[in-house]
Amino acid sequence: MKEQESIPTGKFERAGSFIGTTAKVSGNYIKHYSKRLVGAESTKRQLQEDNAEDIYSTLSKLKGSALKVAQMMSLDQGILPEAYSKKFSQAQYSAPPLSYPLVVKTFRSSLKHSPKELFDSFESSAFAAASIGQVHLATKDGNKLAVKIQYPGIANSISSDLKIVKPLVATLFNINYKEMEHYLVEVEERLIEETDYNLELKRSKEITEACAHIKGLVFPKYYPEYSADKILTMDWMDGKHLNEFMQTNPSQELRNKLGQLMWDFYDFQIHKMLQVHADPHPGNFLFQENGDLGILDFGCVKQFEREFYTNYFQLMKPAIDQDKEEFTKLLFDLDFLLNADSQEEVDHFTVIYADVLKLLGKPFMSDEFDFADDAYFKEIYGFSDLYSNDKLLKKAKAARGPRDAIYLNRTYFGLYSLLNQLGAKIKTNSYVNT
Amino acid sequence: MESKEIIDAFVKHYLEEGKAPNSIYSFSKSLGIEESEFYNHFNDFDQISSHVWTGLFEQVKDQLMSDSEYDKFSSRDKVLSFYFAYFELMKSYRSYFLVSVPHHGVEAIKGSAFAGLGEHFKKWIKEVLDQGVADAEISSRSKLNNTYDELFWYQFRFLLEFWRKDKSVAFEKTDAAIEKSVNLSFDLIEKNALDSALDFGKFMFQNS
Repeated sequence: MKEQESIPTGKFERAGSFIGTTAKVSGNYIKHYSKRLVGAESTKRQLQEDNAEDIYSTLSKLKGSALKVAQMMSLDQGILPEAYSKKFSQAQYSAPPLSYPLVVKTFRSSLKHSPKELFDSFESSAFAAASIGQVHLATKDGNKLAVKIQYPGIANSISSDLKIVKPLVATLFNINYKEMEHYLVEVEERLIEETDYNLELKRSKEITEACAHIKGLVFPKYYPEYSADKILTMDWMDGKHLNEFMQTNPSQELRNKLGQLMWDFYDFQIHKMLQVHADPHPGNFLFQENGDLGILDFGCVKQFEREFYTNYFQLMKPAIDQDKEEFTKLLFDLDFLLNADSQEEVDHFTVIYADVLKLLGKPFMSDEFDFADDAYFKEIYGFSDLYSNDKLLKKAKAARGPRDAIYLNRTYFGLYSLLNQLGAKIKTNSYVNT
Repeated sequence: MESKEIIDAFVKHYLEEGKAPNSIYSFSKSLGIEESEFYNHFNDFDQISSHVWTGLFEQVKDQLMSDSEYDKFSSRDKVLSFYFAYFELMKSYRSYFLVSVPHHGVEAIKGSAFAGLGEHFKKWIKEVLDQGVADAEISSRSKLNNTYDELFWYQFRFLLEFWRKDKSVAFEKTDAAIEKSVNLSFDLIEKNALDSALDFGKFMFQNS
């Protein structure tokens, strides 16, 4: 693993690298528009790729929550231009490694023993790095284990990291500032939870036990006796990441089977548990040749209230917008429409939301949905471009939509895009209709 | 009376009174010994302090040596392990450090109370770095290598001063400071672009 030569530490230094990016991105826009003025060829896509390049190189210098936010951006493909997401998904595994002596210290201070004393073997260099920690391989009594260790000080840097990210993200991604704030409050809450490995251990047990009945899903066993605040030990799991798996040319049947498992896993959590593994990025799924699906990482779990759940899925009902009164009432209940809105705004947004819901709810509307259908995703991208340029939305002074929906939408976007990459056909007649 | 008892009583006095005893006479009296006996062990209070700091250093060193992994470590990991173990132990002596070294700044951690620590540390770091040169981990830059022990001693005092001011939970920021500063110094003394530049400079000097 490549070690970074230096990591910007102070808030000031980090802010510095962001300011650099903002300036650079403005430059890209100027380049784009001046090229257009003189009639040269400069497509919008090229502009987005230029920007993504610069933002990526800035964010990849950071670790911790800033990297995590970049990671989220790569998932929220429905909001972001395609070019950004592609670039950001590369940031997922790069963070500077922790030295072995610090790993030993972390073990000594929370588990009273060094890793070599606790395990039969422990590899001193990290196997993989994640945004808030790194993973080491170990063995104990013949079992292969994965030991996750958190970087020191991560929990305390979240707030200051997000404060810096906020203006950058709001301007660069062309998102209303108030909307961004609304978004980041929720993100901060989840990120802070993610640094609590005790909580993760508890949730991992809870969800994996509840989902044990779905045949074909496999979860690692977690070891509380080798876990602490900043250490989480679980069984090592075999299997391929999505892109490696796709390179083996799996049959359509196998792809459908694995995709269906993924769908059923999410469906069950959302509709039966009212909480969900809200981090569907490719690194958290292991595809096994026998058609089993391994699922990792319960650091980011979103729980929601029954009332929100009922309203939200009410919106997903087919032809809900036909009953105008009911539809408008739901939009008000869920804060998509606000009491301060003018009649013009109410009318305008109602039309937009009806379109969005019809589009995003499409997989639910039939018994079976083919996620390999790129045309559907093109339609989503096209729509989000349109949506992000909507004059009334841009002018809006308050955030819209319930805070609880942020992670739920994220989860669906992530799931859709994974199923698209997998090219799977899914039976979607879900718990909603039962 | 053993020297150890005198040292313990001295540290205790500091911790409870927040300052050194008024005089060697009054301190001896509180120990129940003659002032003359005190001089069989130490000449002044700074000497006691010096014993405390070198004693802690030796304790950490012994702890490292007894670890079966230590010998297999690179020099970089040896130095990192030393600092993590040292600042772990120092948690129990933080109050003593804060009251007995009231002046801030890296220069404050010098004087006679720290001279012994400096000697012991420099001797140890020299061994570690020499081993690093022998293992080709550290670049051999002839005379320049002889200045490294002083530089590392400065880094040691910098870290002590950083730790004094550290307000983070469980001194997590000190951990980060250790990682970053030790990595930086080893990146500098390992074979790197500087060696190629020196080599090229020498070549040009000889051939022009």
